[in-house]
Amino acid sequence: MTDTLPVVRDTDIDASIERLLETQSPQRRQSAPALTIEVDGRQYTGREGQTILDICRDNGIDVPTLCYEPKLPGFGACRMCVVEVEGEEHPPISCSRAAEPGMVVHTQTPRLREIRKTNLELIFSDHNAYCLPPCQNKCPSHIDIPGFLKANTEGNFAEAARIFKRTIPFPSILGRVCPAPCEEHCRRDEVEEAIAIRDSHRFAGDQVLKAQGDGVKAPIPFEVQQRTGKRVAVIGSGPAGMSAAYYLLIAGHEVTIFERDEAPGGMLRYGIPQYRLPKTEVLEAEYQSVYDLGGKMVTNAALGRDFTLDDLQNQGFDAVCIAIGCYATNKLGIPNEEADGVLDGLDYLRIATLGLPYPGHKGTRVVVIGGGFTSMDCTRTSVRQGASEVTLVYRRDMKDMPASNEVHEALEEGARAIFQASPTRVLTDDKNKVTGVEFQRMRLGEPDASGRRRPEPVAGTEFVIDCDRVLLAIGQGPQLDWLSNGADGVSATRNRRLAADAITFATGRPGVFATGDVRIGAATVVQANGEGRRAAYAIDAYLRGHDLGEIRTRQTLAEPQPQFLNIVPYTDEVKEPRLRLRSMPAEERKESYVEYEIPYTQEEAMAESKRCLQCTCEAIGYCDLRRQGIEYGTTLATLEPARTGFSHRSVTENRFTGTNHDYIRDDSHAFILREPARCIDCGRCANVCKEVVGAACYDFMRTGFDTLVTTPLDMSLNTTPCVSCGRCAETCPTGALMPKPRVLEKYDVDESRCILCGICVDACPYDALRCGPDFELSHDSRAEPMLDLLAYSAIDRDSEVTFIHRERDWLARADAQGRLIGQGRMLPVLPAGVVGNGHGAEGDGHGPSGNGQHGH
Amino acid sequence: MKILSSPRGKPSILLARAGRYEPAGPLAQAEKAGAWAAWKKTAPDVSPQAVIRLVSDARLRGRGGAGYPAADKWRAAASVEGQARYVIANGFEADPGAQVDRLLMEQDPHAVVEGLVLAAYAIGASHGYIAVHERMGEARQRLSAAVRAAEEAGYIGTNALDSGFDIHVEVVPLPGGLVVGEETTLIRAIENKRAQPDQRPPYPAHDGVWGRPTVVNNVETLSLVPWIVNNGAAAFAAIGDDDFPGTTLVQLSGSLKRPGIVEVPLGMSIRRLLALAGGPVDDAELKAVLVGGPAGGFLPPHELDTLYTPTALAAAGAIWGSGTVVAIDERTCIVDMATTLLRYLSDESCGKTIPCRIGVRRLYEIGRRATSGLARPVDAEVLGQLAADLRDAALCGLERLAPNPFMSGMRYFEEEFDQHFAHGNCPAGVCETLPTKAQAVSA
Repeated sequence: MTDTLPVVRDTDIDASIERLLETQSPQRRQSAPALTIEVDGRQYTGREGQTILDICRDNGIDVPTLCYEPKLPGFGACRMCVVEVEGEEHPPISCSRAAEPGMVVHTQTPRLREIRKTNLELIFSDHNAYCLPPCQNKCPSHIDIPGFLKANTEGNFAEAARIFKRTIPFPSILGRVCPAPCEEHCRRDEVEEAIAIRDSHRFAGDQVLKAQGDGVKAPIPFEVQQRTGKRVAVIGSGPAGMSAAYYLLIAGHEVTIFERDEAPGGMLRYGIPQYRLPKTEVLEAEYQSVYDLGGKMVTNAALGRDFTLDDLQNQGFDAVCIAIGCYATNKLGIPNEEADGVLDGLDYLRIATLGLPYPGHKGTRVVVIGGGFTSMDCTRTSVRQGASEVTLVYRRDMKDMPASNEVHEALEEGARAIFQASPTRVLTDDKNKVTGVEFQRMRLGEPDASGRRRPEPVAGTEFVIDCDRVLLAIGQGPQLDWLSNGADGVSATRNRRLAADAITFATGRPGVFATGDVRIGAATVVQANGEGRRAAYAIDAYLRGHDLGEIRTRQTLAEPQPQFLNIVPYTDEVKEPRLRLRSMPAEERKESYVEYEIPYTQEEAMAESKRCLQCTCEAIGYCDLRRQGIEYGTTLATLEPARTGFSHRSVTENRFTGTNHDYIRDDSHAFILREPARCIDCGRCANVCKEVVGAACYDFMRTGFDTLVTTPLDMSLNTTPCVSCGRCAETCPTGALMPKPRVLEKYDVDESRCILCGICVDACPYDALRCGPDFELSHDSRAEPMLDLLAYSAIDRDSEVTFIHRERDWLARADAQGRLIGQGRMLPVLPAGVVGNGHGAEGDGHGPSGNGQHGH
Repeated sequence: MKILSSPRGKPSILLARAGRYEPAGPLAQAEKAGAWAAWKKTAPDVSPQAVIRLVSDARLRGRGGAGYPAADKWRAAASVEGQARYVIANGFEADPGAQVDRLLMEQDPHAVVEGLVLAAYAIGASHGYIAVHERMGEARQRLSAAVRAAEEAGYIGTNALDSGFDIHVEVVPLPGGLVVGEETTLIRAIENKRAQPDQRPPYPAHDGVWGRPTVVNNVETLSLVPWIVNNGAAAFAAIGDDDFPGTTLVQLSGSLKRPGIVEVPLGMSIRRLLALAGGPVDDAELKAVLVGGPAGGFLPPHELDTLYTPTALAAAGAIWGSGTVVAIDERTCIVDMATTLLRYLSDESCGKTIPCRIGVRRLYEIGRRATSGLARPVDAEVLGQLAADLRDAALCGLERLAPNPFMSGMRYFEEEFDQHFAHGNCPAGVCETLPTKAQAVSA
């Protein structure tokens, strides 16, 4: 007996502990027996009661979901989490299917991908919304164009410039020289005409420059970081180098810029004529923002001539950024190319762009060969230099010209243009002086890698243009002769570019980076700016000791994938034609190097920006639908049949295109912005609001194709029991529910009306307001806040009744204490039958009478 | 709808008592016609397990459309330990074109209530619901009267028939459309929640109404149970098809001489069923039969020898569904009719899942384009892809079966579909904006 007693006791204790564990422990789930399932060929252990999705998520296996809310059981509306379970006819959805021991699960079979793709295409076929605006998408630097246009419409030009400077530091320079690829894709074009995006940021930038003249510093896009003490040498002060310097300075590094020439600017100064980009008023003024941040400029210091990479690194520069651009003009490779009178277009432009007379140019007959910006600048400056006859010859068609938008202006100014002709030899006299160029006609063949039709010579079509001078502008490459001297580890690529990674910008030499034209070949200013910015972020990461291999996917570095567009035709807008910049008459401008475009007035700039349709989604980057759309190839790029002539303009135009819904945006609520057009009816907001918060503001409304998760009667959230907790916006997988962007200036407290109730302090979810020592409390309303009964009536009967009881008790208590304020004010919100003591009949109708029970 | 006489020599179970007692009349009359005999025979002596075994031996299968063995459902629900259990008699009859269940509930309400009580006894449920559509006024009254009469007689209620077993029955009128007939949706509707289906598994047998184990049986299934108890499992299993023994009600309508509802053993050919309704009307030539309701399938004349059992129908591309057979004659265009059905199904979707809300609508739109002469070149292909994906990704039956009208139509009426999709012709001359084939040729 004595032997067995302790044993019995132990068992009892064990049993009771076991019972406790079973019934009360929050850890109960983890004590569930383990089970093993096979997912995609590997064994994973989970717990009984877990779903397949739980086990996949625990083990880092990605199963796409749209309607799954981790706080709640699987809902099963989106059908994205389908998986194949061996032995089952139809694929189950993993969020709702409990894992069973020995299950063999496949998450990525072709069939599953088909089903998921169908689901996504179905969603998109009724997704009357868009992600990235096409303008921002097409901008090589991805400027927030709707953002700065919006600031423009408010007349807040400094803010517009600040938004611009997030991606490119020089709104005024770009406002003059950018070829504006964005405008070609502007959706306003579907209404009448694209927005003058470039002219709009030009105006904003000019306002900043004007203010700068009055001593107001240019806005800085981000907070300048604390000094890191790291030193960076940027070689080259062109758009790429200066962009890199700008963002490196903001990141807190010390930057010294080395410039080969006597003045900074690179191609902006020596390649772009004064009449397009005034050097003092715009270029230097805008570069001032780099110096203001602390950037040091060392001119007349060329890489390879005055210093080597070794020198820089020996001087203690922690990183070097090579942005020396492309200055070596390509050769034609035809006979007599070295003849007297054949000039390198860039050499010519160094003098001509500044408006100085180029020796011997006046009165000559000039032939310019090439179709890019350099050739156009050569042509138009030659006119201004007083050449008697200027002919531009390009081997492709006019529409293939990178600078095609300037051709008409050049023709107006008196130049001549010949397309589809290629030089075969330069004709000279006996003194090796140029007398003309022989050309051959070209025929346009099949499209090449650039998408343009490849020119092919046509035999027997030779013709001669008599001339005195030939300007070569057929493209440039970087000068890389310095590579042989003190630049170990840095190398050139096969097509004569500096070898550097496209994302980390790292060359083969630690601490040395290359960006801009020297890396990608001669490109536009806006491309160079974007390169410079991204290189700055890469260098910053390097200087902060991050692993360059690991940061490749970082958003500031990786090119976004903005191929994903979803555009619905715009037809209802009121037509308001584009405001074009006026120019000086051709007769005047052909003589002059003065900037010939007349800028907007403030009213014009605001009116033009107001035309923006604001095609933007704030959820971009957070949107699950977009991410999965890209992953499952439901993007514009993959939907577009290659060169068949029949193309989809948007992902809405997929195989299921049909009728779609057009819902109205609801911005009536102070904190939550509803965009039902972006809603995919996943039900997450409704479930979270009901099950987690308890407010139940949303539900599936209507049936069939018209079903929408929305508020009752689609009314404002203000009419629902919304407690402004923001959980709906947090769980929304798309941009249908978003925290409303707000500016603090919007809040203005009228102290004469404030009753110091303190509700704002209680309600603030972020503790932005606090009671100071002098804050008087109105104890009545603080202790017993008057809640809106109507708001509660929708929850469910139980809580409503509880609330009514509580409210009645409170009334009784308040009555007894003699602190009941204005009975009439309270009563209309209480059902007459509930109050029952005669108060009900006294309702004066002030309060909302939503429950319909009291007698009106 | 008219009751047609059963084929000669075949037993009548479901409609055996139709017209033999006043449905809302005194209990004695109904009892004289045979009602409640099975329950009195069962309680308290026969064990619940024995009832389940009896139903299992009778190989009784659900009459709601899926044909799942009733005893398996019961066993599953009975095996979940220590909780309250529920039985739901599904008399919602979601297909608005069918009146089969309504007829049964109106003609023999006591059989429904008795069957429900037997099922509740078998699984140990103390609460039963009879779910009817809110528009079925008469059925609801008669069922309520039957429940009241049985309560007054002590057949149901607390300690029913002194068996120590409590059974409370409630008739619940429910609003809603097609999807409410689906069992998980029905459960949510009873719980007063938004009528949307839930993912199965878990099946209602484990997690049903109020989260408790629940058996959901069609009223027709339950009405057969008293007969099985009275006459024995073997007698029932001997009737009709081997796999699907017993009788069922079929509603024959459309282009037929004597449309009506008939009780037949399962396993008769559709041709014989049509003959029971007198065959096609005189001046019409049968073109197809639509079997199974709005999400059913079209079968052509050469498939009329298909047996009327769930498996044979499914193999032929149709479904048992709501127990309706609609005869269609030459004046009907199959594409047009399938499009009309899809429009209905799309509007009836509860909108929960994406494939159903948008996909079924797109199916309809494809049909609409074809019947308007606006079919896109890829439409026929997209139709096939979408139908396959809908079936695989489906949450509930509506979505899974919705492509049926198109799929069966494309299977048997390929030429007609081809004319619509590829040539813009409507051979039947129904689709107004399309020329008929004859017109197209002459033009």
